[in-house]
Amino acid sequence: MATLSRIFLAAFLLTFSSAGVLAHHGWSWTTGGNIDLTGIIKSAKLGNPHGVLTVDVEGETWSVEVGQPWRNERAGLKDGDLAPGVEVRIVGEPAADASQRLLKAEKIYLRGQEFPLYPERD
Amino acid sequence: MEAWLAALEASGPAQYFRFSRLPYAALNGAHVLGIALLVGSATPLAMRLLGFWRDIPAATLRRILSPIAATGLALAVVTGTLLFSVRAGEYAGLGVFQAKMLLVLTGLVSAAIAHARHVFRAGTPRTSMAIHGAISIIAWIGALACGRMIAFAGD
Repeated sequence: MATLSRIFLAAFLLTFSSAGVLAHHGWSWTTGGNIDLTGIIKSAKLGNPHGVLTVDVEGETWSVEVGQPWRNERAGLKDGDLAPGVEVRIVGEPAADASQRLLKAEKIYLRGQEFPLYPERD
Repeated sequence: MEAWLAALEASGPAQYFRFSRLPYAALNGAHVLGIALLVGSATPLAMRLLGFWRDIPAATLRRILSPIAATGLALAVVTGTLLFSVRAGEYAGLGVFQAKMLLVLTGLVSAAIAHARHVFRAGTPRTSMAIHGAISIIAWIGALACGRMIAFAGD
């Protein structure tokens, strides 16, 4: 019993000690203000529950959260648009902890064309 | 391990649920239903083992609640495996996911022992009953909490 309680406690401590990297759901973890990044996609992991791009922005590596498949499709993005080697401009909210270099995209620009993931936000 | 996780991510069902909308939402919903049935029936049964409602025989409650818990568990395991396959490599590395698996395993082992030792029978020492009841509550509610945290844990 004591061991179990300890495992349970450890699981929770583990969870909340990593509060700095809590991410993904909603917007509570972002700053509330937008930034604008342009870089080259290094890798793309698309699909449920959400897509993540790794983007090289002038030598800095950023993780950019994009939409679920339906959101990307609604924005007008086609299969293969978000692929390694593609130059992309992203407008979105960064994680409140700037050292994470994590951004949740609201709008994506490819070849000068806008793809709004969250048309109601800006 | 790495190869096995990659193979799971490349499997047909994983691909299907990764890129679908309503089927993925339905899979999520079915996982929640499984957990609701499991925790919703394991909790009152565990409470009986902890000493609540002593006027109701534990064996009677077990007859009703145990099959429902088992059904919920089966549904949660099947849907959970599919949800895991969508991002197997990422989830496998998360501390909360590993803790969840440990808690599920603990719950399963404790339930198997409880049934094998017939702790629901009248005349079972109260301590043996209470130990299984406490482990059940910690394991299943803990697994639920850790599972929920997967969606909020970063890499």
